[in-house]
Amino acid sequence: MVNIDWRLRRLGQTAFTAWAVITLSFVIVRMMPGNPMGAMIQQLERRGMDPVRARQLVELRLSIDPTKPIPAAYVDYMVNMVQGNLGQSVYYQESVVDIIAQSLPWTLFVLSWATFISFFIGISVGALMAYWEGGKLDVGLTSWAILMGSIPFYVLAIMLLIFMSYRWGFFPTGGKRPTGIEPGLTWPFISGVIHHAALPILSMIVASGVASLGMRGNAIRVLGEDYLRVARLRGLSDVTISTQYVARNAILPMYTTLLIGIGEMFGGSIVLEQVFQYRGVGWYMLSATYQRDYPLMMGGFVVITLAVVIALLIADLTYGYLDPRARGQESESY
Amino acid sequence: MTVSETDYERTVAHSDPILQMRDTTVSFDMERGESRVLDNVDMDIERNEVLGVVGESGSGKSMFASALLDAVVDPGYLRGDITYNPGDGESVDVLEMSKRERKQYRWEEVSMVFQGAMSSFNPVRDIETHFVETLEAHDYDVREGMQRAKQILSDLYLDAERVLDSYPHELSGGMKQRALIALSLVLEPEVLVMDEPTAALDLLMQRSIISLLENLKERYDLTIVFITHDLPLVADIADRVGVLYAFEFVELGPTEEILEDAAHPYTRMLLKSTPNLESSIENMRPVEGSAPDPVNVPEGCSFHPRCPLADEECIDVDPGPYDAGEGRFVHCHHWEHSAEEIPMEDASETAGLADEGVESRSTKPTPDHEGEEPVLSMQDVEVHFEKDTGFMDFFGDPPAVKAVDGIDLDIYENDVVVLVGESGCGKTTLGKTAVGLQRPTGGSVEYRGDDIWKVRDGDGDGSVSWGHIRRSLQIVHQDPGSALNPHRRNSKILEAPLKRWHDELDGNDRRQRVMSMLEHVGMTPPEDYYERYPHQLSGGEQQRVALIRAMLMNPEVILADEPVSALDVSLRVEMMDLLIELQEMFDTSYLFISHDLANARYIAERTGGRIGVLYLGELVEIGPPEQVINNPQHPYTQALRWATPELDPAEERAEESPIREIDVPDPTNPPSGCRYHTRCPEAREVCTEQTPESYSADTDAPSHRGTCFRMVDDHEYWHSESIVDESKDSFDSAADTGTAPSDD
Repeated sequence: MVNIDWRLRRLGQTAFTAWAVITLSFVIVRMMPGNPMGAMIQQLERRGMDPVRARQLVELRLSIDPTKPIPAAYVDYMVNMVQGNLGQSVYYQESVVDIIAQSLPWTLFVLSWATFISFFIGISVGALMAYWEGGKLDVGLTSWAILMGSIPFYVLAIMLLIFMSYRWGFFPTGGKRPTGIEPGLTWPFISGVIHHAALPILSMIVASGVASLGMRGNAIRVLGEDYLRVARLRGLSDVTISTQYVARNAILPMYTTLLIGIGEMFGGSIVLEQVFQYRGVGWYMLSATYQRDYPLMMGGFVVITLAVVIALLIADLTYGYLDPRARGQESESY
Repeated sequence: MTVSETDYERTVAHSDPILQMRDTTVSFDMERGESRVLDNVDMDIERNEVLGVVGESGSGKSMFASALLDAVVDPGYLRGDITYNPGDGESVDVLEMSKRERKQYRWEEVSMVFQGAMSSFNPVRDIETHFVETLEAHDYDVREGMQRAKQILSDLYLDAERVLDSYPHELSGGMKQRALIALSLVLEPEVLVMDEPTAALDLLMQRSIISLLENLKERYDLTIVFITHDLPLVADIADRVGVLYAFEFVELGPTEEILEDAAHPYTRMLLKSTPNLESSIENMRPVEGSAPDPVNVPEGCSFHPRCPLADEECIDVDPGPYDAGEGRFVHCHHWEHSAEEIPMEDASETAGLADEGVESRSTKPTPDHEGEEPVLSMQDVEVHFEKDTGFMDFFGDPPAVKAVDGIDLDIYENDVVVLVGESGCGKTTLGKTAVGLQRPTGGSVEYRGDDIWKVRDGDGDGSVSWGHIRRSLQIVHQDPGSALNPHRRNSKILEAPLKRWHDELDGNDRRQRVMSMLEHVGMTPPEDYYERYPHQLSGGEQQRVALIRAMLMNPEVILADEPVSALDVSLRVEMMDLLIELQEMFDTSYLFISHDLANARYIAERTGGRIGVLYLGELVEIGPPEQVINNPQHPYTQALRWATPELDPAEERAEESPIREIDVPDPTNPPSGCRYHTRCPEAREVCTEQTPESYSADTDAPSHRGTCFRMVDDHEYWHSESIVDESKDSFDSAADTGTAPSDD
């Protein structure tokens, strides 16, 4: 009973956030002084277009009718959004939904691997550091993690690009798929895709050394817990203790951080995809900004925000499976 | 008289020890030097005995427990000889075992129950997994083992299926502790080492667990080592008691002998410092001084700096064990004279003891407050905490925890009210409501006739301000360590109230005031303490600072929430004396919270206060201490009385538990009628239907009231049908062949 209530409420919160994001995008387009709408109309007029025609075109592109009163325009906009109509890109002359649908999988591909691998490495290395707390490995890796964590990942990305691609030629210098190969589930194509994604993923992993520090701290805390001492006295095997007792409990605080991290990575992907000329959502967002392609920018903004909101929802809803204490919000003590 | 080591060996040789400890030392290397936390200890644990080990915190008692399992945590270093005699096989040297042997020895032969049952289970795995993985790790048959586990759990009065399905956080503290005991017994060990197994629990639960332990010991043929700081607690269960002081045993002997005729001065003083219900208040004395630092244990007898009997010999020569007869061994040169020098029952002053508060250490009769104007008056106060609800809960009332449910209580000038009850009974909530820290959801709290929450909201008649009320009602917390800001010096902490409320004082005056207060509470030289940070103080000193801080506000009522339970046993009486002294000096009233009836009695009898007993948010009995303790009207008070450990073992063992259920009912869904009827041995039909009012007790104290039908002579209760199932009226009657409690 209680669980369902709580989940429904959480779902309600997510719906509210999504609504707020979309409304905000509407407000930005419509209300901002020197607003995107006016800017677009001016742009078109400067190209010698008839003002009335320009206005119609903008209306079509942004899914906002500037002549309608705000409430009615808002309703139209929301209806369009719900129907999945994000408008028409000015620069690419394509529907925004299509552009995002084509580019989002690539970004997700890079992000999910980068997140997954860096999380995995962070946990393993952090656990090792905790186990040999104060030892050489611990001190060395701590310094390394701090160093890597303090260098912006795009600087690292450029360094990697210089050495791994331009100097030594291990990896392609840009792009997201091999040229001259028919897309499909063939090995040459798939290996080519991985080959292209390797450097962006690598640069994100190297920069995320801080995760291991978090894990280290958690693991050290768990190692001092009473239940660990009891488990040792009970004669449980080292494998059980390290996986079910130490790792399981130390990961708990990392889990939410992981999914929040996806949001940060989306932001980072804008720069990263630029560096590697990797045409994902981030690349299109930046290019749309240069081109003053407002519909595409807005669409990207809405989609990325929704992705983060959904990631957080997933984190919240699944946390209970990891930590029984969080199942339902009240303790069922009897 | 001195017996040599070999004599000692010989005396115990004809016994059958299951564990033998010789010259066992546990040390830690510290920057300040070698810290010996167990110092050349010899001990024989006899087969099938219950050995009680008593010591204050920092006496090495946990190290003793760890050493028995060769489980001293790094970087501690354990050396000496520990021999395990299984009885039907060869003796084993515990410290020379291979990894395999040690794994077998731990838990299969000797298992352990830790103090922190709250944190002894992996929070992300259910209880059943803990049992299964233990059985698997030791290659036991899991199915058979789980059968055994269920049996043990039900022997401990737990619903086995339900507990096994639960996660640790879903169980109450008492349930977790019992589940942990079951877990430690699942491999059928010979020896069970229990390190403060009940310290974090309520008295009633402690006592219940101890009576269960006696049954378990018989049924599973156990040897139990029971380690505690609470001497009266082991009196019930232990066959022999060993007293630890400064990392070695100072006395060892049969329980009766130790309790009635302790030979070591420390044991005698410890006994006298322990509040209990039987011995008279005049006899209770704190042990002066403090326990030694493990790096720097005094030469000779380690107790000599605190001992009234100490002479040159004690300073020079470490007293070996003296055989005091009847299996008793004492590490004291003057053990024969200790009984004269430190009499247990003597109100006259003895040299070197208790030089403060001599004339005030007496009982005061509880005055009749009839007609007096109360300082603080609570009428029908209710505090209901609503459980967190989703926005889908439109229908139906959300379940509420009725932490406080309809309590009337008046606190007068110079009054002391001690609230006792189990955890979760609402005593802290009631206390916070009284001093205006918790807003009641019903009823009123009046300060000298003004409703404090009306004043707070600006609806008062303007005669008193909220600031005035806030200042008049103060609080002293249970844990002084977290009640003081760690980043501020004592000077800042203590001057803050003066700055706020006494504008007329300049810096110098403030300093003078704080200094004199510090000196008054025994923190000398005050200049030294003035500039210290809280972490540079001991627990007792921190509590003193917290107390002074409250006192400097010149309050009229202080809520003291378990102010002594974080302190060592020997310091408690001292702290309570100080509280009482300050009360007289500052003319304040106390609302005291305690889970311990013995402490409650001490405070209430010395100040002429009252004891109030709370159960599930209701005040079930209130009255003068001698009435509540000696003539309890409510069956719940009688149960608390039973649960308070006594120093007279012979009398107590015969008694049978007066409660039918160990665990407190769910507070979100309290029982109908009288809330105690589910556990009450006297419950009848009418108790499940009608809620008893507050009746005046038929005693000569007018302030003695209780809420039980049994207090009314011609109540229909007496014609009602009993609901007590005679076959299982008390939870440990299965083992005891006691009779069912009679009705009058």
